[in-house]
Amino acid sequence: MLFKKSLINEDVIGFLKGVPPFQFLDEKALQVVVSGLSMEYYPKGTIILRQDGPPSEWLRVIKKGGVKVFITPDKGEDVLIDYRGEGDAFGLLSLVGGDKSRANIVAVDDTICYLLDKTAVMKLVESVPAFTEFFLKSFLNKFIDKTYEEMHNKSLLFGGGDKLLFTTPVGEIAAKNVRRASDSISIREAAGIMSEGRCSSLVLTDGEGVPAGIVTDRDLRDKVVSKGRSADDKVSDIMSVSLIKAEARDYCFEALLKMIRYNIHHLLVVDHGRLTGIVTNHDLMMLQGTSPISLAREMESQHTIDGLAPVARKINEIVGLLLKEGAKASNITRIITELNDRLLKKILEIGEKQLGAPPLRYCWIIFGSEGRKEQTFKTDQDNALIYQDPRTEEEEAAARTYFDVFSAFVRDGLLKCGFPPCPANYMASNPQWRQPLGVWKKYFSSWVYSPTPEAVLKSLIFFDFRPIYGDFALADSLRDFLGSFIEGQMVFLGYMANMIIKNAPPVGFFRSFIVEKSGEHKNELNLKVKGIAPLVDMTRLFSLEKGIRETSTIERLSEVRERHTIVREHAEELEHAFEFMMLLRIQHQFEQIEAGKNPDNFINPDRLSNLEKKTIKESFALITRMQDIIIERYKPLIW
Amino acid sequence: MPAMTVRKERKSAAAIEDSRFVVIDTELTGLDERRDSLVSIGAVRMQGGRIGMGDTFYRMINPRRSLTSESVLIHGITPSEVETKPAVDVVLREFLEYCGDDIIVGFCVSIDMGFLGREAERLFGHAVGNPAIDIQRVFEWLLGRGFFPGGAGVGLPRRYQLYDIARYFDIEVNGAHNALIDAFITAQIFQRFIPAVVRAGIKRSEELVGISRKFKGGERQHYFSGMFGF
Repeated sequence: MLFKKSLINEDVIGFLKGVPPFQFLDEKALQVVVSGLSMEYYPKGTIILRQDGPPSEWLRVIKKGGVKVFITPDKGEDVLIDYRGEGDAFGLLSLVGGDKSRANIVAVDDTICYLLDKTAVMKLVESVPAFTEFFLKSFLNKFIDKTYEEMHNKSLLFGGGDKLLFTTPVGEIAAKNVRRASDSISIREAAGIMSEGRCSSLVLTDGEGVPAGIVTDRDLRDKVVSKGRSADDKVSDIMSVSLIKAEARDYCFEALLKMIRYNIHHLLVVDHGRLTGIVTNHDLMMLQGTSPISLAREMESQHTIDGLAPVARKINEIVGLLLKEGAKASNITRIITELNDRLLKKILEIGEKQLGAPPLRYCWIIFGSEGRKEQTFKTDQDNALIYQDPRTEEEEAAARTYFDVFSAFVRDGLLKCGFPPCPANYMASNPQWRQPLGVWKKYFSSWVYSPTPEAVLKSLIFFDFRPIYGDFALADSLRDFLGSFIEGQMVFLGYMANMIIKNAPPVGFFRSFIVEKSGEHKNELNLKVKGIAPLVDMTRLFSLEKGIRETSTIERLSEVRERHTIVREHAEELEHAFEFMMLLRIQHQFEQIEAGKNPDNFINPDRLSNLEKKTIKESFALITRMQDIIIERYKPLIW
Repeated sequence: MPAMTVRKERKSAAAIEDSRFVVIDTELTGLDERRDSLVSIGAVRMQGGRIGMGDTFYRMINPRRSLTSESVLIHGITPSEVETKPAVDVVLREFLEYCGDDIIVGFCVSIDMGFLGREAERLFGHAVGNPAIDIQRVFEWLLGRGFFPGGAGVGLPRRYQLYDIARYFDIEVNGAHNALIDAFITAQIFQRFIPAVVRAGIKRSEELVGISRKFKGGERQHYFSGMFGF
């Protein structure tokens, strides 16, 4: 009919062609999608879906505006899952699950969405594998990662994620496009079908169409290639005839149990006696987020640096894997921190074992981004050592000798594990940064009382220290000492304030971005220097003003909210801005790693979505506002 | 085409989110109800605040009166284009079938209803019975209550048209125009109104019908969409 092809629809088709996963659809399929599409408008602040409320009836694709996805845990504060902007979609999980909404979704701006109803979505899910795959990757893991980390307030690497195993039915994550073929075909034909369909398994059916066996990638590897078997043999010779099944409504952990019990990686999923899908161990791993767990366990079981080094080098890989599978970027830093912490502790443990017990109590501290728990892909060594004040010269001499060897061992160990030395030599292996507590206190007070530019620079790095191993009381004592005199040190704090206000946000008069004018990063913006560093620096300043002990920017902000009357009302915005910038940076760095480039901090604002642009501008505006507050506060000291 | 809805006693008594609306726009050879006639009808259906992108109606009509050079310029519909189109009788029948008993929504809808009513009268002996909502009236009503940024419609010309309201709400009005696209624009404007009228305490569609009938508007005047002679 004529009206089916209206100009209105042409616009929508044009829009969807640029939006994954709809861009995978051909023109005809798009026409069908659009004919069933509707459109809604939500003023800013509208709650579109409510956690634990009724499930979404639609898959919504954002045409304009943006939404915030967050979870309200049983106790504690809201957990931000994601911001979604133009071209992003939401509501699939609860639409498919049909039980309840998994998260709160609120319009952060006046927002227009296209709505696709359940029947249409299910049709796409069944007929277009790329469609399902896209959503599984982009939705599920964001929830998994967030859920296992924060909702349950458990350790990052253990527990938490397991919960989804107990609450998600197999049918929900199973691949729906089961490839089938007759069991009379040859191995070569079977392999051909599998590689064409890019699937790791193939179900073979007998003359009556009843499933008779399954052949997987592993069978081809173990039973054909390695055995030198002819590919012209019948596939029935190598297929597994014991078909292990899971009911679609079984929970994932039951499926996992079966896989472990039968030592298999593929499970057929059956719904009311009908084969509806296949679930693989990879699917379950994605759900469980086991990769970092297994890595941590592997690390734990090593006893030598040589054994540790290959495991350590997997950290970046695993981070890449998590990100690739859609894990939330802002948590990646925490995963990196957790894994790096474990690795460092292990190295220190091995060092003590090899060199014997230290002559004096000591504490190994880390600082900089490690100290703030804000590491991304590339990390240098930034560490130091505090030891107990020696009572005698003999003790002093013994300590010097021991910690000299010990710190060199740790430096070399970290190097073997892929952590390059600090170019500025801020490492415990440098005698300057391997000192008794008393000397450290002198360092700190001299930096504060004589704030030369060099001293301020050092304090920026060292004041973010946190203890990692050994006697934490030493680090605590140093922290107490700093807190006891820093408050009211207006000259020193004024230096910091000056440094902060000199770093103006890169936004021009007409709210356009100011980018690099030339060179390798022409038209790009240094996110670290212009976005993240100012937030870190001002948060540190506010924390030092109030003697706050925390070192991570997020934790500092939550303390600032409690104790800093002037900054209190901005704490939440600062946190939001910081989380956002970090997220952008990690996504950017990951893209670079994916493309085989070295990760850097330069982003091109033109490549950001409108929502991202808007948020980043708001963040810069916030930085400017905070700078004004700092100027006001330190007026007599500003030059 | 969607199935007809089951007739309820009074459609306009339903809650806004449960109401079905047909948002229309017509193109005319001129404004004189006795001499001029319909050139095209465009419509988009809404269920509450949801616009059905695939559930639209658009027909060109072979007008009884020959197109004037003015109307050709405005609508871009040339005589040769409409010569081959069905007569108003066929199109009106289809259109009323499409409408069912949904509430009709339009910008200065009384004009559209006037022309549609005249044709219906001639064909079936009675006017179009659907209740109607005029978004221009609703807009004035909301402005008068201080809704929307700028309060009293800052940035709107004193005599505004459909597109001025659209631009006011940042709704895209670029590209070619016909009755369907204008109906779609009208629907998007109406869509923006819904959260506002709900905040204003209006729950049922009949209240909007009432506002459209009684409310005479603010001080500002408006142009009728795509009109001439004013």
